[in-house]
Amino acid sequence: MAGSGRAQLRDGAEALLRVEDLVAEFPAGRKQVVHAVSSVSFDVAEGETLGIVGESGCGKSTVARSIIRLNPIRSGRVVYRGQNLAELEGEALRRVRPNLQMIFQDPISSLNPRRRVRDVIGEGLAVWGDDRGTWSRDRIDELMAAVGVDPRFGGRYPHQFSGGQCQRIGIARALALDPEVLICDEPVSALDVSIQAQILNLLQDMKCRYGLTVLFISHDLAVVKNVSDRIVVMYLGKVCEIGAADELYERPVHPYTRALLASIPDPAATVDVSEGDIGGELPSPVNPPEGCRFHTRCPRATELCRQTEPSMARVGDGDHFAACHHPVLVAAPAPR
Amino acid sequence: MKPANQPLGAGGVKPANQPSGASGVKRRSSRGGADGLDEVKPRRLGLGFWLAASWVVAIVAASLLAPVLPLTDPTDVGVGGPRLPPSRDWFFGTDSLGRDVFSRTVYGARISLAVGGFAIGFGMVFGGGLGILAGFFRGRLDHVIGFVFFVLLSFPALVLAILITATLDRTLLVVSLTLGILAIAPVGRLARATTLVYAEREFVAAARVLGARRGRIIVRELLPNVLIPMGALTLLGMAVTVVAEGALAFLGLSVAGDDAISWGKMIVDGAQLRDLQQAPHVAMFPITAMFLTVLALNLVGDRIREYYDVRELAF
Amino acid sequence: MNDRLMDAQIREGASRGDRYREGASRADRGREGAGRGDRPLLEVHDLRVRFPTPAGAVRAVDGVSFDLWPGQALGIVGESGSGKSVTARTLMNLLPRTARVDGDVLYEGRDVRALAAAGAKHFWGVEMTMVFQDPMTSLNPVKKVGEQIAEALRYHLGQSRGEALAEAADLLGQVGIPEPARRVGQYPHELSGGLRQRVVIAMALACRPRLLIADEPTTAVDVTVQKHLLDLLDRLRAEREMAMILITHDLGVAKGRTDDVAVMYAGRIVELADTVSLFADMRHPYTEALLRSIPRIDDPSGHRLDPIGGRPPDLIDPPRRCSFADRCRYAQRDCLEAVPEFAGLEGLHRFSCNHPAGTERGRAALAANQAAGRNAAGLSMTETREEIR
Repeated sequence: MAGSGRAQLRDGAEALLRVEDLVAEFPAGRKQVVHAVSSVSFDVAEGETLGIVGESGCGKSTVARSIIRLNPIRSGRVVYRGQNLAELEGEALRRVRPNLQMIFQDPISSLNPRRRVRDVIGEGLAVWGDDRGTWSRDRIDELMAAVGVDPRFGGRYPHQFSGGQCQRIGIARALALDPEVLICDEPVSALDVSIQAQILNLLQDMKCRYGLTVLFISHDLAVVKNVSDRIVVMYLGKVCEIGAADELYERPVHPYTRALLASIPDPAATVDVSEGDIGGELPSPVNPPEGCRFHTRCPRATELCRQTEPSMARVGDGDHFAACHHPVLVAAPAPR
Repeated sequence: MKPANQPLGAGGVKPANQPSGASGVKRRSSRGGADGLDEVKPRRLGLGFWLAASWVVAIVAASLLAPVLPLTDPTDVGVGGPRLPPSRDWFFGTDSLGRDVFSRTVYGARISLAVGGFAIGFGMVFGGGLGILAGFFRGRLDHVIGFVFFVLLSFPALVLAILITATLDRTLLVVSLTLGILAIAPVGRLARATTLVYAEREFVAAARVLGARRGRIIVRELLPNVLIPMGALTLLGMAVTVVAEGALAFLGLSVAGDDAISWGKMIVDGAQLRDLQQAPHVAMFPITAMFLTVLALNLVGDRIREYYDVRELAF
Repeated sequence: MNDRLMDAQIREGASRGDRYREGASRADRGREGAGRGDRPLLEVHDLRVRFPTPAGAVRAVDGVSFDLWPGQALGIVGESGSGKSVTARTLMNLLPRTARVDGDVLYEGRDVRALAAAGAKHFWGVEMTMVFQDPMTSLNPVKKVGEQIAEALRYHLGQSRGEALAEAADLLGQVGIPEPARRVGQYPHELSGGLRQRVVIAMALACRPRLLIADEPTTAVDVTVQKHLLDLLDRLRAEREMAMILITHDLGVAKGRTDDVAVMYAGRIVELADTVSLFADMRHPYTEALLRSIPRIDDPSGHRLDPIGGRPPDLIDPPRRCSFADRCRYAQRDCLEAVPEFAGLEGLHRFSCNHPAGTERGRAALAANQAAGRNAAGLSMTETREEIR
């Protein structure tokens, strides 16, 4: 359902980062275009953690990379502290960048194999500060200690660390410039189960310690719920549902959100397992369906869904919005 | 190698020295040092490498030191009789003009290696530079540079060499430049391909997000990764160029002048029928020198490439 | 040890063999020489796999034993390096030549390792097959999927090309691929990841195997696709009375899809039980810690996770003691002295721990460690981080 619209945006004053009608497209050869992100809007309040969840191909990573301008933006606005990042170029863009940092999925690929981890972590300081090295050395040691990597190992190369430690180093690098916004793109999906929890807790600690606003992208519904205050569910380049984390998982109204919650191996109690049986294949983002993008697989789809794209509308009276013509409105489940 | 306490940001352009090797699966001793700082033994380079490296070092040293070594003048005609076989006085014998083949082989290394080194250096700087730029910026620049490489590769190498050396004075510089131009495309394509691989990696994205300028990204993030495969190619390329100089000599297009001795020219001198029949050593010694040098360069280059092939995964 | 505990574990008295015997006799139908219900389909006894490296032998699998009955679904759960995939590859005879294997693997009483040595042609791929995590490793990218399935049928069962292709289409239908007649003529790259994995499953099932080993079959796909694939495996297993070993890192997947679960850590099975009692009363501290470290969908947002401290042990020359002791909140002195016995009665909840969770001994050990602030191996009870090597 996958709709457009901006009903979910909050008062301008509240939001530190505001994405309005973001559209990102990539050429797919033969004059075709991949509609990776189509008119997505959301905002993140200061100090909040916003989770973006969805399956592969839903555009969640593209949203993240567009915000920090690693991807070209076709249209739309990304407003950070009153500045539209989508319009910035060159030096102006470079000057904003330290405020928005990113943690990547693959901890190995995101570290330069030929640089010592001290240089990796200090790269931001080297770019922006002077090169005297006295203060930055202390700062780097402090950062390494903060993320749980022994500063004595600053002279080592990334391949001498495990995946979990590399992710810690990536976090230290992102924090070196004291950013306001931290964008985490699947930061734990490449890690072993027992290491995931360490990194998630670390992110939580760093958020408190450095007063971060976090955008957390993951395909894992449980992980996203654990870290997020507010969650965006995306499907095929569109937003399906937005709401406060507990509210959204307690009372999911969008059929796609419900299908996701019913599909996980240990399904949520709030949905029926059979709702996970959405049929069909994910349509191609080169040629997305008309109307609601989810209608080809939605059990509740009607003619209306095939014709008209739903827009975001408030559900109930709380912080909960969905783009669906036929939302599943049920009474609050009985406490378990 | 960089001392551990070197100030931040000073470690950029050099290929990452890596004494603590990543040998096999084991990356730490199981009991570890008490502080865990002890390291695994470095990888072995092997006896072959050291033999080959010694040969290269010996040849380079000999060619540099030739004027101060107790050698007869390589251009002196008739220092001994013509076509003397190797003996105590003349280690490598003498050629048809009675010149000392040993002395000429040592001096010949000067031009052969100078041509090889200069040519490949030229190829590295221009080819490597263009390749990195093409791989990093992609788009239109990539198309233009890619086209230039294609043209260079498609143009018959020998014809180009003949054209240049036939129209210009065949000085050391001209001959080296000719071979250097031919080295641009292969080196450049390797640099471009390597850059493309690394430019996709997330650490480059991370550097952009940190606000690093493009120049800094190229120098700090990409160059150290691209230099290693290119460095290995340098030695291989030098080997090819040494042979190419020999080929030019056969066409009479190597460095001009009787006092400009190269292995190629020596082989040509010794390749007349009468020489081959009566004094095969005249050609054989420079051929052997060239063969061993090319073999050694190949071996060293190959092992260095393997050695620096950093494992990136811990387990 | 722990007599009281063991008594508590004995339920209903039905042994594992009884539970699956019925299934086995059903599986017999139409199969020659199959399913003597009195013995397991697969018996693995003290399996050890070592990989020699310059630094010493890596003990990837260090004494693994289990039985698999006809029709049974066994989950093997563990993290990377636990030895679960190496175990599977050993069963499938897919290890590199350098691997040193010890121990017995019997399939219907036949020595599987002797079969491998004799170069048996129609065992792997017929009796026992495997599905891998990445479907593209099993599919030839330049061959139509129908041809690839037919190839197995022609090679192993000697079918004609026409027969084999017709059956390939039939198989694609059985694994829930829409328009199977059209799909047989498609190439792997024309299919989505989920469909590719279905094709691989169809290929694995072509010769009606009695044992399917699925190694992380759904790790590379999205949750909605994962559910479909696991449902499919469930259905096919029930239809064909096929035994399955499901290897996964995801406790949730194992919980819903298996009869029994073996939890592996550092090359050993640390806990083995039927799925219901394993999740109801987990005894090994590793199993418990693993489950507690995973965020759960029903936990409130912001719920603080309980990670496992430390890091997995080195598999080169592992010390002869409990391999989890360094990271274990229960570890006492005796855990550092010897490998705990893998205890329990035959066919019941077994585990390798001196101070099992949920028992008197376990509670006492935990309380003692909490009072001391650290466990016997020196792990802090408050701070949980991956230790620097």
